[in-house]
Amino acid sequence: MRVAHDEVFVELTRSICPVCKVVVDGEVNVRDDQVFLRKRCAQHGEFEARVYGDAQMYLDSMRFNKPGTVPLQFQTEVSAGCPSDCGLCPEHKQHACLGIIEVNTGCNLDCPICFADSGHQADGYSITLDQCANMLNTFVAAEGEPEVVMLSGGEPTIHKDILAMVDLAQQRPISAVNLNTNGIRLASDKRFVTDLGRRNRPGRRVNVYLQFDGLDAETHLAIRGRDLRKIKQRALDNCAEAGLTVTLVAAIEKHVNEHEIGPVIRQGLGHPAVRSIAFQPVTHSGRHVEFDPLTRLTNSDVLHAITEQLPQWFTINDFFPVPCCFPTCRSVTYLITQGHPDDGDFGLVPIPRLLQVEDYLDYVTNRVVPDLAVREALEKLWSASAFIGTDTSDDRLTKVAEALDCADACGVNLPEAVAQITDNAFMIVVQDFQDPYTLNVRQLKKCCVEEIAPDGRLIPFCAYNSVGYREEVRAQMSGVKVDPVVPNARPLQSLLAPTRYGSRTAKP
Amino acid sequence: MTLDPDAVKLCCINGYSSDAVSLLLGESYHPGGVALTRRLLDQLGCGPQPHLLDVASGRGTTALLAAAEYGAQVDGVDLAPADVALATGAAAARGLDTQVSFQHGDAERLPYADATFDLVVCECALCVFPDKPTATQELSRMLKPGGRLGVADITADSKRLPEELTTVAAWAACIADARPASEYVDLLTDAGLRVTQVEDHHQAVARMVDQIAARLELLRITSPGGLEELGVEIAQSRTVLDAARRGILDGVISYTLIVAEKP
Repeated sequence: MRVAHDEVFVELTRSICPVCKVVVDGEVNVRDDQVFLRKRCAQHGEFEARVYGDAQMYLDSMRFNKPGTVPLQFQTEVSAGCPSDCGLCPEHKQHACLGIIEVNTGCNLDCPICFADSGHQADGYSITLDQCANMLNTFVAAEGEPEVVMLSGGEPTIHKDILAMVDLAQQRPISAVNLNTNGIRLASDKRFVTDLGRRNRPGRRVNVYLQFDGLDAETHLAIRGRDLRKIKQRALDNCAEAGLTVTLVAAIEKHVNEHEIGPVIRQGLGHPAVRSIAFQPVTHSGRHVEFDPLTRLTNSDVLHAITEQLPQWFTINDFFPVPCCFPTCRSVTYLITQGHPDDGDFGLVPIPRLLQVEDYLDYVTNRVVPDLAVREALEKLWSASAFIGTDTSDDRLTKVAEALDCADACGVNLPEAVAQITDNAFMIVVQDFQDPYTLNVRQLKKCCVEEIAPDGRLIPFCAYNSVGYREEVRAQMSGVKVDPVVPNARPLQSLLAPTRYGSRTAKP
Repeated sequence: MTLDPDAVKLCCINGYSSDAVSLLLGESYHPGGVALTRRLLDQLGCGPQPHLLDVASGRGTTALLAAAEYGAQVDGVDLAPADVALATGAAAARGLDTQVSFQHGDAERLPYADATFDLVVCECALCVFPDKPTATQELSRMLKPGGRLGVADITADSKRLPEELTTVAAWAACIADARPASEYVDLLTDAGLRVTQVEDHHQAVARMVDQIAARLELLRITSPGGLEELGVEIAQSRTVLDAARRGILDGVISYTLIVAEKP
């Protein structure tokens, strides 16, 4: 008797073997209302990972796939094909919305979870100011006037020239600098915070991208290896005092801190410095705790957790896929809020409830867009370069607010509301970065978050962390041999040996 | 519950053309917005040729969309003179005044000769017409043989409606006198039409309730004085919206798209 498959085959794509990184075909299948990527390596066998927890949302998101924009310059040529030619090669489908510069590999923490495999390590590297300038120049040459560059690491605040690097970025036509930090220096070095705050000015914004995984001591110990709660609070307060805006960035791991998603949002809404929150299911590249690829967290799981933990404020329809990258990679909502969440008259309105976002951002079935200016404004907001507090975001929010205003049609004019709206706006982002298990070139080809490598390449973030580029760059820069990283996945345990940075590699 | 039909009509005119309603409902006054309007026109096979009548055309959103996107020749009729004037102005502003015209009229006595139109649409309006058998007879009378009618409307099991939604004030929100989809099918059949399609779109009405609640909340945050001026009472509005949400969840309230053909 013939037997039916227990899954629907929806895409054929390309991926890599998580062990040897050789390029292999991949199948995307829908099973039990979830989406899985399966692939087979001739040498290492079959691998499967859960890539989206809600099959209907995955399929629905496809209409938000915006045609990409060609960058001004490519850095490599096509030879072996995706993902081996990064980058960006001329086959890439999107320009860089966000460029990342990792200024060092050293860190003042040794977190159990770190995709960059950073820590108190003597054999890493730090880039020089000259190298930083060249990397910024590459980014500007490719993008013209980039919206935002992120300085990351390692821990960028322990680089002795970090303020000078912010200056280098601000001397170029880059509207905003995002400083990605664990907050230790921000908590203890007020002068540094003041110096950063002084650099945050109209047209040249500085936003702090603060690692913030939860409010429980257990969460801190599991993800960071130290209870950092007091440090995070001091860092936040110091940023508020110095006039710096902050994005809380939470790495979410299954069975560790899923329950903290609601409390992190509440904390963010209640702190004057915080204007946005980014949730990232833990990226299983670099160093991380053992995980099961078939039950790993995905964007839709975080979105459902938000609505389950805060049903008084959110529904699943408040979030929309970001059209500039591949729509399953990132979902965003904007809120207009007033007051403190603990106050009785606290107000919160998700912007997608006020206008039909899909009337503007549906690129597949839409025939006529009601208002192109509103579409453009929404595109800038629903993008990887959007950070609240940047002048561009403020401007776009005002445009959307104006579209909502019906001053002509009705008695109430909302000029004050429009003026206030940017001060009261809040952004929530959910982003699932790919790892060697989940890498799908269909998404990767449209990636708009790029690592700016010291050698002048712009390498899509997920390729950098998955395919071996990170190890290659680190070996080049530090002169030390770097083992190829293999995910610490349950099914691979018998193949794995520890690297000296705490990640895993394949046994010889 | 019995209500004076004239009082209801007046309430609808005032309700639908009032600033408070347009403030809370935004540009598109019906669930599903323009996306569902397009779906309705697609199902009717609307194209460049047909002569289309939009009954209860409001400020002209659907009529103008049918003209601009489908190239149809459109007549719109509405009970509120203020809306007819606004719709006429909107058509002129978009250069569509040769393709679209609006006039004042009652759906129970439509001011057109028999069998004038290829297509008739009636969105979110049948539910507030007090004499539904007469109104559906009129809709049918408008159609040429082989012509098609598209109705999109709030449907409700009136016996199970939450109490907060049975007052006159709730009429303007299309709910109090809404009927189950099966009753609309019967009404259209009695009017000599053959129903070919019935689609449930309860998500659209759920979303509209959320949108009204969000606009109310935005105004409470940003312009509480303005709400007061328009006579919108926040606590009472919330009670009505919560009742509507409950009704949708319980399957008592929905939004239904119906296509019928004149033999």
